[in-house]
Amino acid sequence: MLNSLAVTSRSPLAAEPIPEPSNPLGLDGIEFIEYATAQPQAFGALLQQMGFAAVARHRSREVVLYRQGGMNVIVNSHGAPAGHPTLSAMALRVRDAGYAYRRSVDLGAWEIEPHAAAMELNIPGIHGVGDSLIYFVDRYRDFSIYDVDFVPLAGVEVRPPALAGLHWFGVVQAIGAERTRDWLEFYGTLLGFWALPHGRFFGVLPNGTLLESPCHTFYLQLIEPPPATAGPRWDEGLVRVGFGTPDVPATVRALSERGIVFVDRGSVQPSDRGALTQHYLGSVTFELVVSHR
Amino acid sequence: MNIDHFGMDTITLAGPLEAKLQAIREAGFTQVMLNAVDVVGHPGGEDAPVRAVRESGLAVTGFQVLRDFEGLSGHLHAYKVDVAKAMLAMCRALGSRVLLACSSTSAHATGDRGVLVRDLQKLALLAVPFGIRIAYEALSWGRHVSLLGEAWEIVRDADRSNLGLCVDSYHVLAHGTDTAVVDAIAPHKIFLVQLSDFLWQETRSREDRIETARHYRVFPGEGVHSQEVGALVRKLDDMGYRGDYSFEVFNDDYKQLPLPMVAARARRSVKWIAGLVSRRSLPARRIIPAAAR
Repeated sequence: MLNSLAVTSRSPLAAEPIPEPSNPLGLDGIEFIEYATAQPQAFGALLQQMGFAAVARHRSREVVLYRQGGMNVIVNSHGAPAGHPTLSAMALRVRDAGYAYRRSVDLGAWEIEPHAAAMELNIPGIHGVGDSLIYFVDRYRDFSIYDVDFVPLAGVEVRPPALAGLHWFGVVQAIGAERTRDWLEFYGTLLGFWALPHGRFFGVLPNGTLLESPCHTFYLQLIEPPPATAGPRWDEGLVRVGFGTPDVPATVRALSERGIVFVDRGSVQPSDRGALTQHYLGSVTFELVVSHR
Repeated sequence: MNIDHFGMDTITLAGPLEAKLQAIREAGFTQVMLNAVDVVGHPGGEDAPVRAVRESGLAVTGFQVLRDFEGLSGHLHAYKVDVAKAMLAMCRALGSRVLLACSSTSAHATGDRGVLVRDLQKLALLAVPFGIRIAYEALSWGRHVSLLGEAWEIVRDADRSNLGLCVDSYHVLAHGTDTAVVDAIAPHKIFLVQLSDFLWQETRSREDRIETARHYRVFPGEGVHSQEVGALVRKLDDMGYRGDYSFEVFNDDYKQLPLPMVAARARRSVKWIAGLVSRRSLPARRIIPAAAR
């Protein structure tokens, strides 16, 4: 009788067409960004120039955690291919990583195979653009995922402050020609991102389409290849991260003093709105965008 | 319109893939429509056919065929998702931008419109990272979707940028459907047009449609529905379709004939069709979906 009651009382509710929340995964920002590189020392030195500090080393792999303020960057050299460093993954903070993973796969995401060793965390994730991955992390408030898999480096500040208020602003993604709507649907369906009105941009590179996260804390920028150009090969993939800072000129000065060179010609010269570094290690650039978060 | 707009289908020809590619190329075609059997049945493993296609210099019109995907549940759905992923991976390896998916014939599939829409949305999302477009085709013996108009309504409701239709003249003719059915279809949602005819006036039953489709199709211009095929091509052209055509000709006799002879018949068919719509060689009007403007 109880079972019968439970079924009948649940059925009408289940059938009621209630829209999903606008932030279905409880997305809450970026937990870490991962680069893959066979040049970990050179890349680490670049991160340090950008204000990051190495804080921990992975227990079983050639992986180092860098941090400044609320930003974590993982430099993964474990089996990394030779060549330029690549932006290989972004880990997103969510309410329930298991739910985020299951929902994404149910909707058509490609799951990634678990690769955790014994006693290591299995961080669920899906395939993103190109060879990149999207991880889901739900332990970021009262528990750190890095406490399990990483060993702190001796004698370093575990939580180094951010230089000039730097924080995550977004990730820029190169996409194929006429692929904007495909990727809008991908990020909209899976993660709840939505496109800003056409023509609304931040920073000094007003190209493509800007997508805002449902938690309103970061952006994805989709950039199609320039029309009708026989330029360099345009592969789909994550191409750079953007850092927010409340005072771009002051941050440019601080980073310049640390040896970082900014592009100072044409439309991308440093301004109050933003700035772009030169290429490092053949492929890596960082963007600054004014942001008062 | 000229031969560059047509892909010849490997299913029409006998023999190994390399011989088919050579015959197709020597007949003057610049495109080929591939079948999964070309890959998995190759004695050189999966890499050899991929290499053969690349070395042939032929562009790939599309890759076929994913069957019975939509409308299943539970373990049957999970099984078909695995099949779809394998097909998408082969499709990408071969350099095909289009995967053909036929309407389900499965007795286990539901006809619930919402489920069919949801499943095709999932298939489309699975294809996004690979840059592949899904062309959904109404098989004339499909269990719940057997008419072009029905397939269009599902594609329209699914509303995914990389989900569109494959219009197959055989299935339109076999059902005796008025070619005016394409008037309701948004031309930018037609991803592929497959052309063939057959040698008798009517297919009287589901079994008759299956038997004719699998063994007795002929090239356009060789059958008894030339007027209808011509009307369909002219209508598609008039409404602004500027995508590719392929010859979906399953014919037991052609599989017993020398490959150059069959390829020459295909070439003759191109000439016949081009004569119907010769002005297609004029610059194409670009069709931009309203949502992408």
